[in-house]
Amino acid sequence: MMENVMNKENKLTGIELLKTLCLAFGPTGCEEEVADEICRQLEGTTDAEITRVRCGNVYAVLRGETKDGESPRRVMLSAHTDEVGFMINEIDSDGYLKFSCVGGIDPRVLCGRHVTFRGRDGDVPGVIASKAIHHQTAEERKTATKVNAMYVDIGAKNREDAEKYVAVGDYGTFDSDFVIFGEDGKYMKCKAIDDRLGCAVIIETLRRLKTEGKKLPFDLICAFTVREEIGRSGAQIAAQTFEPDYAIVLESTAIADLPDVPDNSRVSNVGGGGVISLVDRSTIYDKGLVDGTMKIAADKGLPAQIKRYVSGGNDAGHIHKAARGTKTLAVSAPTRYLHSASCVAAVEDFESIRELIYAVLNGYSF
Amino acid sequence: MVCCPGTPGSENKIADIIREEIGAFVDEISVDAMGNLIALKKGTGSTGDAGKAVNDNNVQNGNEPTKRKKIMLCAHMDEIGFMVTFIEDNGMLRLAPLGGINFVAAAFSEVVFENGVRGILVPESGTKPENLTADKFYVDIGASSAREAARKVSVGDRFALVRNTTRLGQNRVVGRPLDDRVGCAVLIDIAKKISGGCRDDVYFAFTVQEEVGCRGSKPAGFAVAPDVAIAFDVTGTGDTPGAKPMAVRLGDGAAIKVRDASVICDAGLVDRLHTIASNKKITHQTEVLVYGGTDTSSLQMSGAGCVAGAISIPSRYIHSGVEMIDLRDVKACAELGAAYILGE
Repeated sequence: MMENVMNKENKLTGIELLKTLCLAFGPTGCEEEVADEICRQLEGTTDAEITRVRCGNVYAVLRGETKDGESPRRVMLSAHTDEVGFMINEIDSDGYLKFSCVGGIDPRVLCGRHVTFRGRDGDVPGVIASKAIHHQTAEERKTATKVNAMYVDIGAKNREDAEKYVAVGDYGTFDSDFVIFGEDGKYMKCKAIDDRLGCAVIIETLRRLKTEGKKLPFDLICAFTVREEIGRSGAQIAAQTFEPDYAIVLESTAIADLPDVPDNSRVSNVGGGGVISLVDRSTIYDKGLVDGTMKIAADKGLPAQIKRYVSGGNDAGHIHKAARGTKTLAVSAPTRYLHSASCVAAVEDFESIRELIYAVLNGYSF
Repeated sequence: MVCCPGTPGSENKIADIIREEIGAFVDEISVDAMGNLIALKKGTGSTGDAGKAVNDNNVQNGNEPTKRKKIMLCAHMDEIGFMVTFIEDNGMLRLAPLGGINFVAAAFSEVVFENGVRGILVPESGTKPENLTADKFYVDIGASSAREAARKVSVGDRFALVRNTTRLGQNRVVGRPLDDRVGCAVLIDIAKKISGGCRDDVYFAFTVQEEVGCRGSKPAGFAVAPDVAIAFDVTGTGDTPGAKPMAVRLGDGAAIKVRDASVICDAGLVDRLHTIASNKKITHQTEVLVYGGTDTSSLQMSGAGCVAGAISIPSRYIHSGVEMIDLRDVKACAELGAAYILGE
């Protein structure tokens, strides 16, 4: 088990750090609270220069040691700060909130979920409801309810009452606890493990570089990017700003190590270590980085697995072809039930990905 | 060049051949992080002020501006192909497509790996034609176990339908991958034709990963920041039974693109190419493609934007194992490209 430490300055490590990041409110386009927490955690624990920019990205730049005035190479680590969520479209006369999804959410995971909307004067709890089974026709019972037939009940009497708390355009997220479960606390479940786990890995990597007094021979640019779930503009801005030579994207990947999925369609296994992508819908990854990372993992005895199935896309799609092009790798935490209120990931994968990233930064010849 | 493997993300071998072929006609050659090969033939014109020709009304009027421009010619090196994603216990390989594969055309075809291993691309038994998707296919390389298969290929290895070409009739060539090796050949031919010198800087960009979404041309366009960009790629034809209505015919000459699904070409450049082709008696036709996309789109939006167009090589049966081109069209495309650069 990972040590769970909180010191006097509210600096969190390990699972406590991940938990705090996961519980922060940050649907796409509304990531300030996550960025605040990342800055708070980095402040004083790294030598990197921290900046926040207009679009909401947070950058931590650690200058490398330069040889004879030679311009150092730039290596970027990136993770996105946003999570999937909801936005209020309309408040009806009875005080129910009609909403749309921010990012790709399967409508079938929505009914009955607790959600939290961020209103003008504070958070407003609600529940996603639709017609009760008693009132559904035989035909309705056979089909999945569409999002536009669902609504959020915040306990308001009518539109006027609801508008005291929320407005059209307000954001919401799943209301979810961070739970450790399974034998020996092997697994964790929460919303937004995608991609706060990546954020936590980067924070801990920066801290470890400081505590071990490591000087890297390249500039390390850590980018905490906004808006991955819609349009990936944060990553594009980061890559265009720094024009990195190399990039490692830390992500969560949907896995399918489930009973009804045939072996060849399983992306990867939870607990099997960081998932290295060869190709997905947005990127063909750099072969040198993929092979180098798998070799470093093997040499260090760290688990790592190749993604078996082509699905999804991530910030790498924009990073690898931004500016003059960037050699790009993605290391993902294998995660079940991605984009739901309960993403499930393995604690040991969090630990081994941290180790792997540290080993790659120190061992790969960038 | 047709015989050389070069699936998206693995174009280095074809790049080596092109470097060899074009080296004698250009001044500089570089390769970027994604693998784009960019060869520069320096112009002899005066550099003038630093402003971009795109702001120069003379370009729109079809008159030549006096200062030296950056002209970027582009053809993609990659061909559609596949990657191994999983090896089953019985030694069969599962795969993912790299680019727009026509799985109906690809069923029961012979495939070849970069290391020379051969196999057959087969759909699961009983799959109906309308259900022929990547998930339903496997590759049989003659191995009887995962262990035996793993001695020959690994997860992540690339393969493609076998490469070969045949001459059909007087002027036609059929085979694969003509998309877009024929464009690469046209670029090399243009380099040869203008090797005596020209006013403008000409960048010959051989791009990567076009087939998976015009990816390589984005950084290539960023790096060059051209004033004018012209892509050379294949386009469909409307002259086969059941084809979508389209004015382009095989053998009717260089196809000057007006639009495709990804781009609307610069009207001034389209007019200029038509004028040059008419004056030089180069056979040409107008291309309006309602589907598909080419590197033209990303070049047009590179840097602060540029004047972009395309000279297309008409091709039947694109992305199948039997792509067909007419050599007279290829010749016309090279002549038109060279004439444009030489300002004739």
